[in-house]
Amino acid sequence: MSMTRTEVLERLQEIFDDIFLDEVVVTPELSAKEVEEWDSLLHISLVVSVEEAFDVKFRVGEVEGTGNVGEFADLILRRLNGTNA
Amino acid sequence: MTSTSFAKATADEKQELRQLLKDRDDRFWDLLRTRTDEAASFGEMIFLAGLRKKAAASGFADPRANPEESLKIALIGGSTLFPLSDIIEHTVSVTSGVVSIHSGDFNNYRSEIDDPESSLYDFAPDIVFVIPDDSTCRYTGRLIDGPERVTEQIESVANHNLELCRLMRDRTGAEIVLCNFLLPPLFDLGQFSTKAPASEWNFRKAVNLSIAASAPNYIHICDLEFLTYRLGGLEAQDERSWFESKQLLSPDLQVAVAKETAHIVGSLKKAAKKVLVMDLDNTIWGGIIGDEGVEGIELGDTSPRGEAFKAFQTYILSLTDRGLLLAVSSKNDHENAIEPFQRHPEMVLREEHIVSFKANWEPKVQNIIEMAEELSLGLDSFVFVDDNPAEIEIVNQFAPEVTTILLGPDPAFYVRQLKESRLFERSSITDEDANKTEQYKRESERKKALGSAVDMDSYLESLEMKGVFRDFDRLDLPRIAQLINKSNQFNLTTRRRTESEVEMIIEDPDFTGFTMRLSDKFGDHGLISVVIGKRDGDVLEIDTWLMSCRVLKRQVEEEVMNEIVARARLLQCTSVKGLYLATAKNGMVKRHYQGLGFSTVRGNEEFGEYQLSVEGFEPRPTYISVESTARRI
Repeated sequence: MSMTRTEVLERLQEIFDDIFLDEVVVTPELSAKEVEEWDSLLHISLVVSVEEAFDVKFRVGEVEGTGNVGEFADLILRRLNGTNA
Repeated sequence: MTSTSFAKATADEKQELRQLLKDRDDRFWDLLRTRTDEAASFGEMIFLAGLRKKAAASGFADPRANPEESLKIALIGGSTLFPLSDIIEHTVSVTSGVVSIHSGDFNNYRSEIDDPESSLYDFAPDIVFVIPDDSTCRYTGRLIDGPERVTEQIESVANHNLELCRLMRDRTGAEIVLCNFLLPPLFDLGQFSTKAPASEWNFRKAVNLSIAASAPNYIHICDLEFLTYRLGGLEAQDERSWFESKQLLSPDLQVAVAKETAHIVGSLKKAAKKVLVMDLDNTIWGGIIGDEGVEGIELGDTSPRGEAFKAFQTYILSLTDRGLLLAVSSKNDHENAIEPFQRHPEMVLREEHIVSFKANWEPKVQNIIEMAEELSLGLDSFVFVDDNPAEIEIVNQFAPEVTTILLGPDPAFYVRQLKESRLFERSSITDEDANKTEQYKRESERKKALGSAVDMDSYLESLEMKGVFRDFDRLDLPRIAQLINKSNQFNLTTRRRTESEVEMIIEDPDFTGFTMRLSDKFGDHGLISVVIGKRDGDVLEIDTWLMSCRVLKRQVEEEVMNEIVARARLLQCTSVKGLYLATAKNGMVKRHYQGLGFSTVRGNEEFGEYQLSVEGFEPRPTYISVESTARRI
């Protein structure tokens, strides 16, 4: 199953809808600083939910290296495609 | 199911919940409870928890939750408590109502417990949930050390944790939920892992055992060892999230722990279930007794399906050891329904195990409501199990307090279904003792009587039976007519009569009709035997003799015999004539008269005529104390 970046962002929107109490609109530029609810604790739930929903496993430390939702989506795509990078 | 259709189903379910929330429809809360109960994944649980928070934020409250009674739960431990605290808050609040949560700092729990001024004690929790620091469960000696040295450290780790719990208990009076230690699911030491007492595998198992063995009642173990075993060890731990955020438990295990915690908290308040009401056909045996007869039902070791039903009965019977009462509600004729309990050799459940047996054509919910009245128990202490969804639905609708279990299509999994319902657990032995009801006592007395009876005689003696004989009475007419028209098995002639025909017997001096009632120390069996005698010169002919099978083997027939002879004497008859007319169902009384000392006049397979001389008849000794006007004279 191959997904496009847009599809990944759409799926992320669904996950954000489940997790955040307030409405958060997913855009590639969105980052944690811009969302009040998105603290380090909620981030843990978010990462776990994303792994489960996409059936992927991130490697230690790599989610921390993504600066915004677009970069996070790219990481998801790399893991989905089994790219070794 | 493909992954897409699964995702779609989940999306639909999510949409349904969102819509109910939007409409502020109270069914939202019931559906939320069901979904939470069934949720197996972390993502689902977070979604459900989120919806609950959104509902709370908009002022839409669970009608079952009492805002006055908020439960305060503190979570402390040696690993990150979030997001576990979030899903524990969710699972506990959907089962037990309003919850407020306090989370301790990461791995600061020892000083939080130690310091009487800490935020833990400020919070004044009702319940404290503790996950100990995993790294403390470690043997510090050498791998080749023998059992004595290892045992010393096992006890030291166990006692340290129990001591922390005791201190919290002393300072707060809270109930403590203590997680035990995870076992390593990885190959490492090979044979040594299994054989050496000092290996991590053996050491941790021993610590868990030691904690459990010494835990007082206020400590409730959240058994991570067991939950991990259920889930699969490799699925229970996630090294990456340990390094990233100091999570000890994998997301899936967190879901399992949250559910278990909700169950433990829920069972602190909820009274245990007291009665299991069973359907019969295709529930405790295979097939329909009314159609297939006692020989036709599937039960016992002759077929795999029969074995499964027998295993189910064996498990049900074992529940009586925990103080559970068993009852039957079945759509059947009583005679048909009770027959396997009396004479099917593979039946594990017997008449004496059933505190209330209702086989009739009334709605089952009616039967259950009557049982609740008879046993003076609330409907909420009843569990009803049936394989028929329609029967379950009626009970859900008209007696929603009753917990129902709809059995699945395969009897092989019936036992599992009952165990997984978690309705028959007991929290502690003292609790159980304290909650004893009159019914429990009666039941245990009944069992005591059976258990201590080394032979039938002392059992019968212990029953303290009382029999009352009366002439036919107009008040009894409906019951007499009912027995005359319904009894099939213990019925010598199966002569049916209408109520008015029975009434004519009362008037006719050539007839003598009488009834017998039986009671014992467990209760009243009511009117259980009917006899009609007809005088023909100096012979008293027994036109009708029938008895309810509930009181078989209670010496009732002997006592009825004594009564017949006493009445024959009063009527100045010199002999008694007995008749047996065979039917498809009364084979059990084929040799009835011979057994009572009558001599055979004539007889074949279908018919028998027997004779007994009144003079020289010695009343048969029984353990029934009798009240009879015929014998007083």
